[in-house]
Amino acid sequence: MSPDAWIVSTVALAYLAGCLWVGMRGGAGASDSAVGYVAGDRALGPLVMYFIVGATVFSAFSFLATPGLAYTSGAAVFYVLGYGLVGFIPFYFLGPRAARLGRAHGYITQAEMVAHRCSHAPLAGTMALVSVLSFVPYLALQIKGAGLVVNRLTEGNVPEWLGGGVCYAVVLAYVLKSGVLGVGWTNVFQGVLMMALAWAFGLWLPYKLYGGVGPMFEQIAAAKPEVEGGALFLSAPGAKSWSWFLTSGVISTIGFVCWPHLFMKAFSARDERTLRRTVVFYPTFMIFLVPIFLIGFAGVLFPTPPPKPEQVLPHMLMSLELPAFVVGLFCAGALAAGMSTGDAIVHASASILVRDGWITALGRKLSSNQERRAVRVLVVVLTLASYALAIAYQGDLVSLLLYAYGPIAQFLPGLLIALCGRRRDGPAVHAALVAGVAVCVGLKLFPQFAPWGLHEGVWGLVANLATLGALSALRSQPKRTE
Amino acid sequence: MFGVRSRVPHVLFALHSSVAAWCVVGPGYRWWGASARPFVFGLPWSLVWPLIWLALVFASLLAYERWTRKVEDANERAAQADGARNPASAP
Repeated sequence: MSPDAWIVSTVALAYLAGCLWVGMRGGAGASDSAVGYVAGDRALGPLVMYFIVGATVFSAFSFLATPGLAYTSGAAVFYVLGYGLVGFIPFYFLGPRAARLGRAHGYITQAEMVAHRCSHAPLAGTMALVSVLSFVPYLALQIKGAGLVVNRLTEGNVPEWLGGGVCYAVVLAYVLKSGVLGVGWTNVFQGVLMMALAWAFGLWLPYKLYGGVGPMFEQIAAAKPEVEGGALFLSAPGAKSWSWFLTSGVISTIGFVCWPHLFMKAFSARDERTLRRTVVFYPTFMIFLVPIFLIGFAGVLFPTPPPKPEQVLPHMLMSLELPAFVVGLFCAGALAAGMSTGDAIVHASASILVRDGWITALGRKLSSNQERRAVRVLVVVLTLASYALAIAYQGDLVSLLLYAYGPIAQFLPGLLIALCGRRRDGPAVHAALVAGVAVCVGLKLFPQFAPWGLHEGVWGLVANLATLGALSALRSQPKRTE
Repeated sequence: MFGVRSRVPHVLFALHSSVAAWCVVGPGYRWWGASARPFVFGLPWSLVWPLIWLALVFASLLAYERWTRKVEDANERAAQADGARNPASAP
C-alpha cells in the first residue's frame, strides 16, 4: 500500500474510532427495556432530534449522487431542495398527534399505531413487509457506497467488501449496544462532520477550478448557451422532463413524511414542543445541500469526465492530486453521510419486524427483555443480509432505491386515517395499501404502461385512494340500511 | 387578529406552505426559477429562488410555533384557573 493510501486509511479509521466511542457512550442512561432500546425512553431532546432527522435524511446517496445529478442534469437537482423544504411540514401536525397516541397506548412504531387505530392487526404485518423490503436495498446501497468510497480513495488498495464490512461492523457494534440513543449521538457527530466538510469542499472546489462560485456559473452559462431559456436551464433540453421534476418532488414529499424510520422518531421525542421545534429548525439543515450542488456544478467543465456521474466528487479530488490527509477527510465525510442513514435504517427495520410483524400481526407475546433481544438478533441478521446484497448485486442499486419512495408513499392514506379519521376501516385501508403498492411496483417493472411519464408512486396513490373510497363506500352501505 | 382563538395564523400558515410548495416543487418554479446567470453571492437565480422560500418557510414556521406555544400556555392557564375555581372538575 502506498504512503498516501495509508494516510487516507488512517484518517478513515480515526473517524470510525470516534463514531464507535460516541455510539457506545450514547446509550448510557437508557432503561434496559424495549422502549429504552427502540424509543430512547421517549426522552430525546431538541439537539439530538435535529441531527437524528437531518443526518438520517442525508445519506451516502446525497453526498455522492446529488452532485452526480447536478453534474448530469443541472438545475433539475434543485427538486431535492424543494421536497426537503416542504416535505417535513406535515410532520408539524402529525408528529405531536402521533406522540400523544404513542404515550397513551405505548406505540413505538408507525405500523403498530396504524393497525391498532384501524383495529386490523394484519395491516401491521403488510406495512412491516413493505418497509423492510424498501429498507434492505437502501441499507445495501449505504454499505456499497461506503465500500466504494474507501476503495476509490485508497487507490484500490482496500477492497470494497472490506471497506463496507469494517464500517458496518462499527455501526453494528454501537446499534447493538446503545439502540436509538447510540444512533442519535453518532448522528450529531456525523452531522457536524459532514456539514463542515461539505461546505469546505463546496466552496473550495469552485474557487480552485474557476476562481469562485460566480465565475463558475458564468463560465458554465457561456460554455453551454444552448441550455439557456429552458424550463430547467443548465440541463440539456429533454434530459429531465417537467413532469419528472413535479411528480418526483410530490412523491418524495409524501414519502418523506411516511418513512417509518423518520416517523418513529415521533415516539422518541421528549415532548411535543421538541417535535415541533425539530420541524421548525429542519429547513436550516437543508442549507447543507447548497455546497453539495456546487460540487456537482464544479464538475460540469472539469477536463476529464468521471467514470460514473455519482463519482464526480471523488474523481475531481483524485485528479487534483490533493494532500492525502484532505482526501482522507473527504472519505470520513462520505462515510459519515452513509453511516448516519444506515444506522437509523437497520435499527428501525429490526424494531419494525419484531414489533409489527412478530408481535402485532402474528399476535406473539414477548416480554420487554425478549423483545429487546429479538430486535438485536434481527439487527445482526438484517445487516448481514444487506451486506450480502451489497457484495453480490453487481447491478445499479440506485434504481432499486428510487422505487422505494413509491411504495412508502402508499402509507399516507392509512396514516392520515389513523391519526385524523373518524371512521377507520382497517380492511379497506389494508386493501388500498396492497393495491397502491402493487400498481407502483408493476409500473416500475413495466414503465411503458405509466401514462404521461409521471412517477409510478402517483399512479399507486390514485389506485390506493380509489380502492379506499370504493371499499369504504361499499362496506358502510349495509350499516346504513340496517 | 393573532389571539389564541384566532384562525388567522392557521390560514396564513397553510396559505404560505401551499405557496411555497407551489413555487418550489410545483409549476411556480418553472415560471420564476429560470436564469443561469449569477444573481447574488455568485449563485444563479434558480438556486436563490428556493433558498428565499427556504428562509421564508423557516421564518413562518418559527412564528407559527411561537403562536402555537402561546395558545398552549393560555389553555394550560385556563385549565389551572378552572381547576382552582372548581376543584371537583380538576383532572
